[in-house]
Amino acid sequence: MLWLYLHFPHLLLDHIRRSGENVAALVIVEGSGQRVIQACPAARDLGVGAGMRLKTAVSLVPELGIVRADQQQEARILEDQARWLYRYAAHIVLVPPNGLLAEIGSLQRLYGGLSAVWQTVEEVLHERQLTAWPGIGHTPLAARLIARNGKGECSSDKGCILQTLGQMPLLAAEFDERTCTRLQRLGLNTLGEVFSLPPAEMARRLSPETLAYIQKIQGSRPDPQAPWQPPHYFRQQADFVQDIEQSQGLLFPLQRILSELEKDLCWRQQDTDCLLLVLRHRHAEPTRLRIRTSGPEHRAEAFLNLISLRFEHQPLQAPVVSLRLTVKRFLGREASGGQDLLGESQDLNEAWHTLMSRLQARLGENALKQLAPQADHRPERAWSASEVQRTSRVMKTKASQLPQRPLWLLRGPQPLTEIPQAWFTGPERISGGWWDGQRVHRDYYIAQLNNGQLAWVFRDVREGWFVHGWFG
Amino acid sequence: MSELLNTLMQDARVWQGHKHNKTTQPAELTGYQALDNQLGGIGWPRGALSECLLDAPGIGELTLLMPLMQRLSQAGKTVFWLNPPHTPYAPALARGDINLNQVIMIHTEDKGDFLWTLENCLRSPVTGLVMAWPGKLATREIRRLQLAAEAGSNVCVLFRERHYAGQNSPAALRLELEPGDQQGLKINIVKRRGSWPGQGCSLAMVHRAGLFHREAPRVVQGPWPASTR
Repeated sequence: MLWLYLHFPHLLLDHIRRSGENVAALVIVEGSGQRVIQACPAARDLGVGAGMRLKTAVSLVPELGIVRADQQQEARILEDQARWLYRYAAHIVLVPPNGLLAEIGSLQRLYGGLSAVWQTVEEVLHERQLTAWPGIGHTPLAARLIARNGKGECSSDKGCILQTLGQMPLLAAEFDERTCTRLQRLGLNTLGEVFSLPPAEMARRLSPETLAYIQKIQGSRPDPQAPWQPPHYFRQQADFVQDIEQSQGLLFPLQRILSELEKDLCWRQQDTDCLLLVLRHRHAEPTRLRIRTSGPEHRAEAFLNLISLRFEHQPLQAPVVSLRLTVKRFLGREASGGQDLLGESQDLNEAWHTLMSRLQARLGENALKQLAPQADHRPERAWSASEVQRTSRVMKTKASQLPQRPLWLLRGPQPLTEIPQAWFTGPERISGGWWDGQRVHRDYYIAQLNNGQLAWVFRDVREGWFVHGWFG
Repeated sequence: MSELLNTLMQDARVWQGHKHNKTTQPAELTGYQALDNQLGGIGWPRGALSECLLDAPGIGELTLLMPLMQRLSQAGKTVFWLNPPHTPYAPALARGDINLNQVIMIHTEDKGDFLWTLENCLRSPVTGLVMAWPGKLATREIRRLQLAAEAGSNVCVLFRERHYAGQNSPAALRLELEPGDQQGLKINIVKRRGSWPGQGCSLAMVHRAGLFHREAPRVVQGPWPASTR
C-alpha cells in the first residue's frame, strides 16, 4: 500500500480567495480574534505574518480583510476537497483539520505509474488554486509526516522514504511534548535514531504507545484507516469577507459553484431539477430560494439563467454574508436526443423544459397550469388545473362521449340580466354533489343574448337564472 | 433592383397598390375554406402577429381557432393561453379533439410580465400557437411583440376590443369579429399584409353549441316570460 497525504497549510484562506473577491490583503485570525494564524501572500508582502497579534497586523495594513477561523467551516471545506479528490482516488481518509489521505498504490496501474498520479493531483490542485503540500509514504503516518514537513517526493521506494523520515528532527515528528523531551534527554535528535532503538526496550523505558506510534510510521504495525464515503448530496458554500449588497455580485461565485455542480452531476451521470439556495445575512433570517427546473437539467448555464431571472424579480433583502447551494434530489440522466448529426433539428424536449423553467422562474410556479377534464357531472368540477408536466397522459374517455359544453367557463355563475333573444337546446338537468355537500341542482339551456353571444345559462333550484359559460 | 429591395417585395412588406402579389410568407390554414379564400388561400400568418377584434366573448371566436389548435396540439406543438378572461373549459377542448397535454394556461400579474412571457413563448421553437388577451397595449409594445413574433415561426393571436380597429397596429393580420346571422361569425378583414383590406366573409359557427340549421331556432320555448326572476 502506498499513501498520498495532502497537507493544506491555509485551506480557509484559499477557500475565501476563490469566492472571487478583490480584497487586497487577507488574514485568518484564530477563534478568539487575537492572533493571525494564516496570511495571504499580499498580506505577507506588507509585513503581516502568521502568529502576529491582530492589532499589530491592522496597524500595518489598515484595509486588512479579516476572517475568523471556524472549526465547522474548516471541516466542511475539507470535505469539499475530499469530494473532488474522490474523482481520482477511491480510498480517502479525512484528517482534520487540514489534511487528506488517499491510498494511491492501487491507482498506479490505472494512471500508468506513480508519476502520472502525482502529476494529475498537482494539476487539479493548480486548477483549483489550492496550496497543498503532497507527500507519499508507505504508511499513512509516514506520508503525513513527510507532507507536513514539505519533504514530499514522487517516489515509492521504501528505503528512500525511511531515509527521509530518518533525517527528520524529533520536533517535526509530532510526538507529544513529554515523550519528545524524554527522547531528547536520551540524546536522540532525529527520527532515524529513534527507529534504531530496540523495540522491547523502547516499550519498557518509554511507553507502549510511543512504540506503537513508531511502528505505525515504520509500517511494522497495522494502522487501519476507515475510508470516507462521499455524501449523497451536493453542497457548496461561498463565504464573503465583505458583505455583498447587489445580487449581481452573487452571480460570479454562483457561476463557479454551478460549474462544480455540473461537473459533479457529470461524474454521477445524473441530473437534478431542484436547487436550494440559502443566502445568509448578518442580522436577518436567511433567505431561502428554491430554484426549480421543469425537467432534469445539469448545465450550469441553464441554472445560472434561472437564478439571475429570480434575482431580477426578487431583490436582496439584506447584504449577503455567505451563500450555500444544496442539491439533494438527483434524477437519472436520460440519453439526450441532442442534435441530429448535422445539427439541423433542435431538441424540442429540451427547448420545452427550458421555456417552462424560465417562465416558472419569473412568474412563480403557480402561474402556469395544464388543464384536464375530470369525471364529475358538476360543470365547475368537471375540469382541473394542475402543475405543468411533460407527461403524455392518455385521455380516458373518448372525445365523442363527452357532453356538449361551452369553450369558456365563467369563474363563477353570473346573474343573467337580460331576456335572451332565442332559446336553443335544453333543459339539461344536472343534479349532483349530495355526496360531498356541494349540492348542485340546475337546468341548463343554451340561449343567445341580444348582442349575439351564445350563452350557457341555467336555472337554479331557487329560481335564479345565471350564465355559466360562453360558446366562444 | 437591389437584393434587399427584392426581398422586401417578395415578402410583401412593401405595399404595391397596382400589383397584387401572391405572398410567400409562411402561414397556417385556418380550417375554414371561406376564410382561407379571403386570406389569399394561406390562412394565419406564422412569425407575425394577428389580431382578433371583438366586443364580447361567446360569438365563436375560439371556434375560429379550434381547427388550428387541434392540428398544432396533435402535432406536438404547445398552445399557450395567456391571461384568458375566463377559464378555457377542458371538457369542451377535449371534445374538440385537442391534445390537452400541449395546452398551457398562463396568468401574469402585471403588464411587464405579460410582455416578457409572450416574447419568450414566441421565440421558443416548441410553441405552435399563442392566444393572448393583452388588455391595453401601446403601439410601441405591439411593435416589440411583432419583433418577437418574427424571431419565431408560430402563430400569435391577440384578442382585443373592437374599438381598437380604428387605431393602426403593426400586426400582419387584423380581423374584426361580429356575431352574424344564425349564430354565425361575420369576419371583416381590417388589415392584411400584402393585400387590400376590406374583404369579409361569414362563417357558420352553429356547430359550436351542437345546434344545426335543421332545427328551428326556437325548439324550446323558454320558460322565461312566465316565471319572472
